[in-house]
Amino acid sequence: MNCEHLKMYLAAYLDDELDIAESLRLDQHLTECAECRRLQEEHLALRSALRDPGLRYEPSAALANRVASAVRRRAKELSREESSRLDWLRMPSLRWASAATVLVMLSAAVTALILQNVRSSHEQLLASAVLTGHIRSLQPGHLVDVPSSDRHTVKPWFQGKLDFAPPVPDLSELGWVLVGGRLDYLDGRPVAALVYQRRMHNINVFTWPRQGAADKSIQQDDRHGYQILHWNGADMTYWVVSDLNRDELMDFARALRGH
Amino acid sequence: MTGDGVRFYGRHFVRSQDRLIRFEQQISPHLRAAYNLARWLTGSHEDAEDVVQEAFLRAFSAFDNLRNDDGKAWLLAIVRNTALTWIKRNRAVLPISALNQEIDDRREPSPDPEQMLLILADGQEIRRALQQLPLEFREVIVLREIEGLAYKEIAAAVGVPLGTVMSRLARGREWLRRIVSGPREGANQTRSKSG
Repeated sequence: MNCEHLKMYLAAYLDDELDIAESLRLDQHLTECAECRRLQEEHLALRSALRDPGLRYEPSAALANRVASAVRRRAKELSREESSRLDWLRMPSLRWASAATVLVMLSAAVTALILQNVRSSHEQLLASAVLTGHIRSLQPGHLVDVPSSDRHTVKPWFQGKLDFAPPVPDLSELGWVLVGGRLDYLDGRPVAALVYQRRMHNINVFTWPRQGAADKSIQQDDRHGYQILHWNGADMTYWVVSDLNRDELMDFARALRGH
Repeated sequence: MTGDGVRFYGRHFVRSQDRLIRFEQQISPHLRAAYNLARWLTGSHEDAEDVVQEAFLRAFSAFDNLRNDDGKAWLLAIVRNTALTWIKRNRAVLPISALNQEIDDRREPSPDPEQMLLILADGQEIRRALQQLPLEFREVIVLREIEGLAYKEIAAAVGVPLGTVMSRLARGREWLRRIVSGPREGANQTRSKSG
């Protein structure tokens, strides 16, 4: 901790929003540095001045009434709009017929939705985890545990570390350079992470075994400027993530899937 | 048939009445915070009142979207957006964004702490200083010091990450400290220039 750090964290320290370890480091520095102690005192004085109730602007009593009646008017308008939308339902003969139709449609829709949602919310969560895994891997020293462009080095490395042998295709002829592999943890299990590169763009391929039918198409999602692709193969599931543009990454995914 | 209609309408009416009651319980109590924030952002009493009314109407229309219990941060986010839209619409020139302005970080001689305390004791002085602060910093300080929001709530209200809240608060306070300690230096400079 030095004075520059202290300046950066002093506000959060005074607000009790700093984690314990960092707070302790700040405490320590404050006991040692008179100049920073003075800065702290000035900030404390500033804070108590800012918390003076006189700084708060109070609304007039009239405003509360004015706003309350505006909201009530809006509530009435909305309620009138909504009920007029339902007018046609008030004709009894139509109502039974439509109620029956709606019921049939609803039950079909709900079933489909539940099935889809169970899958898609799980996949949404996984997509976030995949992206986090990708970003974490980009921090210095985290990208690969076995740096090698040789698939005969990378693939055997996983032996004894995983209960499956991940496919490690050689795509160098298509311009996708293998950089290496590492272990990662996704979906509650250890998974294989392969890293390919094109023009300095890193691509993480996460793969692990699954059972079920293979997907016909590749799902695509983009978050925070990263492209995330996902598909299920016959016995493996694949997640591909990169900051490469979508078209190129799709090419990559197709090449990988073709292998 | 009429009876059915009334009954149908009645049920619907109860539902929207229920929404109004919940809104008045969860959101209306934050009118005070809403006005304070709008007043600090727009700088005028009349504007703040209009912004608050508009924000409450927007909030009521969007009330079904409120998913968590934090009605205050949710309402303040709407007040803030309404105020910013209002400022853009009604002022030809927006105050220059301070985001890219850097505080001069050279360690200038600190003001005499006692003198600073004297200045701080004058409520008008600190109010003027806060008003001078660029909007990005003013809003987080108002939300933190006057409204007492936690960093997480400020992040939700302003729509920026937690780390941004932290750094804006740090820079805003540092800036404020310098404004408060500044007037004497400023006065000296003016004097020396005119003299």
